[in-house]
Amino acid sequence: MSTIDFTRELAVVEGRPPLREIDDIISKPLETRPDKKYYIALSITLTMLGIGAIALLLSFYYGTGLWGNNNPVGWGLPIVNFVFWVGIGHAGTLISAILFLLRQRWRNGIARFAEGMTIFAVMTAGIFPLIHVGRPWLAGYLLPYPNQHSIWVNFTSPLLWDVFAVSTYFTVSFVFWYVGLIPDFATLRDRTTNKIKKVIYSVTSLGWRHSNRHWQHYEMVYLILAGFATPLVLSVHTIVSFDFAVSIIPGWHTTIFPPYFVAGAVFSGFAMVQNVLIFIRKIFNYEHIITLDTLERMNKIMLLTGSLVGYAYAMEFFIAWYSGVQPEQFAFLNRAFGPYAWAYWIMVSCNVLFPQLFWIKKIRRHIPVMFVIAVLINVGMWFERFVITVTSLSRDYLPSSWAYYKPTLVDGAILLGSFGFFFTFLLLFTKTLPVVSIAEVKAVVEGSQPSHGEH
Amino acid sequence: MSSEETNIGYSKKELPGSLGKIGFAILGIGLVVVIVSFFVDHTRAAFNNLIMLMFLTSVGVGGLFLIALEYIAGAVWSTPFRRVIEIITGIVILLPVIAVPVYLNLHDLFHWTHEEVVQGDYSLESKSGYLNVSFFTIRVVVFFALWILFYLLLRKNSLSQDVTGDQLLTKKNIRLSAVFMPVFAVTITFSSIDWIMSLEPHWFSTIFGVYYFSGTVLAALAAGTLAIIMLNEKGYLTKGLVKDHYYSLGALLFAFTNFWAYIAFSQFLLIWYANLPEETFWFLQKWEGSWMIISVGLIFVHFIVPYFGLLSQPSKMDPKRLKLMSIWILFAHWYDLYWLVMPTFSKEEAVFGWMEVAFPILTVGIVILAFVIISRKKNLIPVGDPKLKRGLDFRL
Repeated sequence: MSTIDFTRELAVVEGRPPLREIDDIISKPLETRPDKKYYIALSITLTMLGIGAIALLLSFYYGTGLWGNNNPVGWGLPIVNFVFWVGIGHAGTLISAILFLLRQRWRNGIARFAEGMTIFAVMTAGIFPLIHVGRPWLAGYLLPYPNQHSIWVNFTSPLLWDVFAVSTYFTVSFVFWYVGLIPDFATLRDRTTNKIKKVIYSVTSLGWRHSNRHWQHYEMVYLILAGFATPLVLSVHTIVSFDFAVSIIPGWHTTIFPPYFVAGAVFSGFAMVQNVLIFIRKIFNYEHIITLDTLERMNKIMLLTGSLVGYAYAMEFFIAWYSGVQPEQFAFLNRAFGPYAWAYWIMVSCNVLFPQLFWIKKIRRHIPVMFVIAVLINVGMWFERFVITVTSLSRDYLPSSWAYYKPTLVDGAILLGSFGFFFTFLLLFTKTLPVVSIAEVKAVVEGSQPSHGEH
Repeated sequence: MSSEETNIGYSKKELPGSLGKIGFAILGIGLVVVIVSFFVDHTRAAFNNLIMLMFLTSVGVGGLFLIALEYIAGAVWSTPFRRVIEIITGIVILLPVIAVPVYLNLHDLFHWTHEEVVQGDYSLESKSGYLNVSFFTIRVVVFFALWILFYLLLRKNSLSQDVTGDQLLTKKNIRLSAVFMPVFAVTITFSSIDWIMSLEPHWFSTIFGVYYFSGTVLAALAAGTLAIIMLNEKGYLTKGLVKDHYYSLGALLFAFTNFWAYIAFSQFLLIWYANLPEETFWFLQKWEGSWMIISVGLIFVHFIVPYFGLLSQPSKMDPKRLKLMSIWILFAHWYDLYWLVMPTFSKEEAVFGWMEVAFPILTVGIVILAFVIISRKKNLIPVGDPKLKRGLDFRL
């Protein structure tokens, strides 16, 4: 057995770096010109984005017939991708808000980055419902307002609740993110020698002077926003699950969907955050700030949420059998052994089996292995949405209307484009804003907390 | 460890003998009335006994979950009073005894035990591979055995740490807890399906295990909070426990109140919205006659009152409010179980009589007396736990 000393708290940041050094190291990417590798990475993501943009333009010009969507599978890849990207966004709020409320101090090193990912992921997700309707220029009608056509939205539809939930979530996440950035903007303002930057940082830091009073207000606002963000993040994927579960389609209508979707969202989001952070900490030399212990904890959360997802799969199967309802039983047998069995078993192995390797401490702390597992998790989670959306629709109650859904090249190009969109924003983020919160990291350096030992 | 003990400000004090006497008296009164109730109307008594069984399962097994959660999450704030929860959790040893009267009346409680009913009913026939008396019995025995096993193992390590202060024991319990978590998830889910969901064997809901789990954690947490605050106020714990610790307990109670409401609402909304007769009858049954009042009352009792009672920050720290809310939440959990179980007994109208009072009285007696007996000669805080000092130093 290893020698963990339980009488002392594990240091979040290794090696007690002086505060000045933290300032330097975190703002370094903002103060230096990007190198060649950065431009190579950016050109790759921009190419992906460009391919997606072309595919979209073609879709608008020729119509959505370019996609694989057919009758009965009206919800093809666009909805799969929408649910996937909204899910990716969930880890950010979980880390920044829920782990904050749970006083998990190790989150401080990764919260800013994860929160940024949330915003970009929700933006990416937002594209899909808009293009799925085929006429994105009419999207304004999604918002209920008294108009001259007397057209109102269907308030009883969860698809509309999605509009409210996602837009509220985006707004609160953005405000939360910005509030966290204010003290860092002030730090950057005080450091920079560039006049234009000085003006920008002065404006965005809202006159922050690191005074005691400012901190007091800041902490209060931050706590309240975390309290707001927590139910919001849960509600978003809950409502996404309602999109499916309020219907009576076998395989969709099951009561465990809300918590199961939330667990799955956190699962895939953490995998994505872990993947990207592994690169960030290496490239920017943040290995002592985003430590191996932090990565290990993230892997533990993946193990937990992956097991929760596995529990949901098992429950769905068991209750489908237990219910004695034939369409229900057929839907699940069809998933596992029907024409989409290949997708189903990719999903099960990537989401349930591989994450179980995280029971082993060596694997939890082995960077290449954990990276691969997290990639597999995201593959699995994408396939989960594919399995749910497609299998139930392609074989519904009436065998004469069954059809096999096959995504087209254009579908694939749009998916590729969404990754390009997301990673382009991410790359720009790393060079324009501090990807680790300067102020929050300083708060978790050893010795910075007041001790209550000798009172 | 003597120097440590003075350091943490704890000196062992036995609980007053009067508490045991009070517990014994309550238990005696309850037991007599309960026995009488079995002679008067054994079916109704068995239904009430089932509620009592599920309630004590919640408190006991939910407590095991809280202990395991502390170990695997590496939490320190709850370490100073983990022993109190360990003692409450001792109830799991009694569960088989409490299950006996229920098991003897299986025929009156569970429709699916009647073979002549099952035959010819497609839905029941198709699930008879799961819902049959012999497999049911095996499951019940295995689940009880697993809970008692994990309780004994976790307790043994924790108690011997009082003497040795060995850090390795914490490590051992972390491993045990990690193994316990999946065991807990499976056992608590299938217990809830077996004992509660199968009362209406045609009905099914995938979230049901999670629903019962949410109530389980609330009940265990409320029982723990109540005991911790009462013991601490009388000076049986340590002076180191301050409002920061109370706040954490209150915040958890508040969080799980919301979690319960979330799960309950999800289950209701999805079934109501889809409006499939295979599922809706379960809620419609709870809408018959005076059951409607009980159903609407559940929202207030289980969610609105504890929600507003614990919403503000000061209320989560106030020992008086916390004690009140703990008792309220324990009542709410009983109310929830009543709402789940009793409509099967009395379909037209909600029933409430002296029997429904007798069983809660017996339950209170059992819990108090079990606490007194199990806590005898034990430290009420885990004096050898390496996380104890950090736990006492915990501030928000």
